[in-house]
Amino acid sequence: MRNKIVKEIEATFSNQGDFFIEEELVDQTKIFLIGFKTLVDLTKSKLYVQQMADSNTSVKALFINLNDRVNVDAKQLIKGILEGNLVIVSEDGKQNAIVNPIVQSLRSSVSEPKNESPIQSSTDAFGDDINTNVGMIRKRLTTASLCHCSYEVGDLEKRKLSMLYIKGRTPNALIDKVDQQLKGIKSDIDTIDDLNLQFGKRRLSPVSHLFATELPISAIHSLKENKIVLFLDNCPFALVFPNLLWDMLVSINDRNFPSILSFMLRFFRVIGLVATLILPALYVALVSVNPEVFKLDLALFVAKSREGIPLTAFLETIAMVVLVDLILEAIVRLPKSVGPAITMVGGIILGQAMVEAKLVSNLLVIVITAVVIASSSVIGMQNSLYIRLLKYPILILASLFGILGVCTGFIFTIIYLASLTSVDIPYMTFRIKKEGATK
Amino acid sequence: MKKNRLFKLSIVCMTIILLSGCWDIKDINKRTIPLVLGISKEQGGQYKVTLQIPVLKNESQVSKVVTGKGESITSALGKIRTNSENAVDYTQIRLIVVQNNLAHNQKELSAIVKFLMGSEEIPSRSLIAITDENVEDVLSSINDKLGVHASSIYDFFNKGADWAPEIFSTPVWEVYRSLFSSTKDIAVPVIRSGKNTVLIFEGSDILKKGELMDRFRPEEIQLIRVLQNKNEKGKIESLGFASIMVSNSSIRLTPSLKNNKPSLSSNLNIKINVLERNDGVTNKKIIEELERVIEKRFFQVLKRMQESHADIFGFGQEFQQFISYNELKNWRDEYFPELKVNFEVEVNME
Repeated sequence: MRNKIVKEIEATFSNQGDFFIEEELVDQTKIFLIGFKTLVDLTKSKLYVQQMADSNTSVKALFINLNDRVNVDAKQLIKGILEGNLVIVSEDGKQNAIVNPIVQSLRSSVSEPKNESPIQSSTDAFGDDINTNVGMIRKRLTTASLCHCSYEVGDLEKRKLSMLYIKGRTPNALIDKVDQQLKGIKSDIDTIDDLNLQFGKRRLSPVSHLFATELPISAIHSLKENKIVLFLDNCPFALVFPNLLWDMLVSINDRNFPSILSFMLRFFRVIGLVATLILPALYVALVSVNPEVFKLDLALFVAKSREGIPLTAFLETIAMVVLVDLILEAIVRLPKSVGPAITMVGGIILGQAMVEAKLVSNLLVIVITAVVIASSSVIGMQNSLYIRLLKYPILILASLFGILGVCTGFIFTIIYLASLTSVDIPYMTFRIKKEGATK
Repeated sequence: MKKNRLFKLSIVCMTIILLSGCWDIKDINKRTIPLVLGISKEQGGQYKVTLQIPVLKNESQVSKVVTGKGESITSALGKIRTNSENAVDYTQIRLIVVQNNLAHNQKELSAIVKFLMGSEEIPSRSLIAITDENVEDVLSSINDKLGVHASSIYDFFNKGADWAPEIFSTPVWEVYRSLFSSTKDIAVPVIRSGKNTVLIFEGSDILKKGELMDRFRPEEIQLIRVLQNKNEKGKIESLGFASIMVSNSSIRLTPSLKNNKPSLSSNLNIKINVLERNDGVTNKKIIEELERVIEKRFFQVLKRMQESHADIFGFGQEFQQFISYNELKNWRDEYFPELKVNFEVEVNME
């Protein structure tokens, strides 16, 4: 004989295969255990309830001892079940409880970072579980001024979202604006980009509002730098808001070395950044449009290395650059077992066979190799990707206007980046002013 | 808003297409890059232009020599362009060799220099030299020499500091400037093809407003360089009983003008290293002898210059503050022959 509440819950989940309602006898009273088999470990939960029942004299006391959330309405019970909790309802339906269950282990434990490889640093990385992630921050940053606001956003599903900041450091105006924007989210947030779009239009821009990092140490550093850190449930990244240009060049892990070495590392990142942007363009400009810039010996050397190559410099370069970007993308997709073989074959064909076949000049191969390596010197995979994208406009301008095109392209790229803002903070800001700090 | 944006974007795209003249540009390997330009005049009054062009494909042959004739230099260059397999790119020309029959004619030489300066393609930083031989022979002789490469004629003039300080390298723009200068004349190197080396340096011709005045031997030219305050480092001097190398030099000039008679006192400081000496030769003797030799050489050069009214040392530059601009035009003819120079050499041993 099932009561009203149980029937209502049963009706709601009637077409769910993994839904269960188990009857149990406790102290001659029937109770119902309700939940999802895929989320709740039923056997262990039963045992747990039995043990609790043995130590409690009455059914009422049992319900009170099981959890705080006792005797709620059917709607909350359904929500509790969806969240993966175990719901217990008494036979008469007058008493119920939402019990934190003994869960099926769906989460992997804290592991090493996959997308970043920190040197001389702790190798913990954020995981999928939002509470674990916030916990990782809390454990490392034990201060009362660390604030945590949680949100549930989305239309179809409610996704957990956490905002962390340090009170008294992060500007209140920034916190308020981000708070408003998070509260105003209407649509589903499936990806980082969905969240990114909520912070203002940058639909066509390669630069994101958010800087994703896997490392707790760098998230904490961002917090200390008066920024906001967002966590999205089931997303193993801390999303730092706002994303600044210097995040691409400066990492907290650099500071594990003496300052002169960290300066060197950063200097090389700047070189890598500039080289990625202008090297292919410079090759095209010098070889086809403005060879008079070359010194005499260099001009002869370049002319000799390009002897007999049928493609024009622009076609040659664009073909190589696209090919290399394709390979970089393909290597990510390849299974780990095939990856090295393909890379080797690709390397041989690109490096040697193309030069021997006189399809591209060996000078270009050197340039392209330098660019590929240089583009990876910046911090963050997404930053490396957007730099690789920005080199194309400069390349096209260089093929049309030569050195002039390289310079204009480079300057326009800088102007564009300088024009970007996230919540009134320019992308090229060095650091965000502390709350209350005077200039 | 959206329509407006599309409109702006299309304008940007169109300007890129319309403004770019580079779509049919020739890559560097599709261009012929001449390094040396030789200019001479034929018997019939026609100009003959010779180009030395490095051959990139063939390892055995270093360069080829292409000639063209025409009523003017431009038409001769145009003819070469027409007959060439590739686009000819004159922007890498580094040396211009003028044959003496042209160089010794003031009108012709000034016209050539003016043309070279005015030409947009031929760089005005390219060096100029004079040869007494046939230009074609000088340029083609490079192919007969062993172990030289295409750019060696240019390298000849760019040995760098300390290696051959007597070689005067004179760019076109300096010659052009000297055409209008009233206080300074210019020396242009004279070369001929060598037996075993590509070129031989014969000295320098002194040009006064494009007119050839005199020719100096390499060691005299050396002195002129020093007096123009260019470093003499690396020069080896033989005194008969000892050989020295100049390791540093500096000069100070003090001009003065009394009763319209210019006089100049000049202190030349030279630091030397003794490379080898005969037995029993003292430092003092070396110093005295060197001072004597340099002073003697200077006064010889000065005498010759004052006779030909050509101020190769640029002493007139020092008097610009004493003499008015209009008067300065008469510097060479009125003041310079009267110039008294108190020339002192001080030699120090390191």
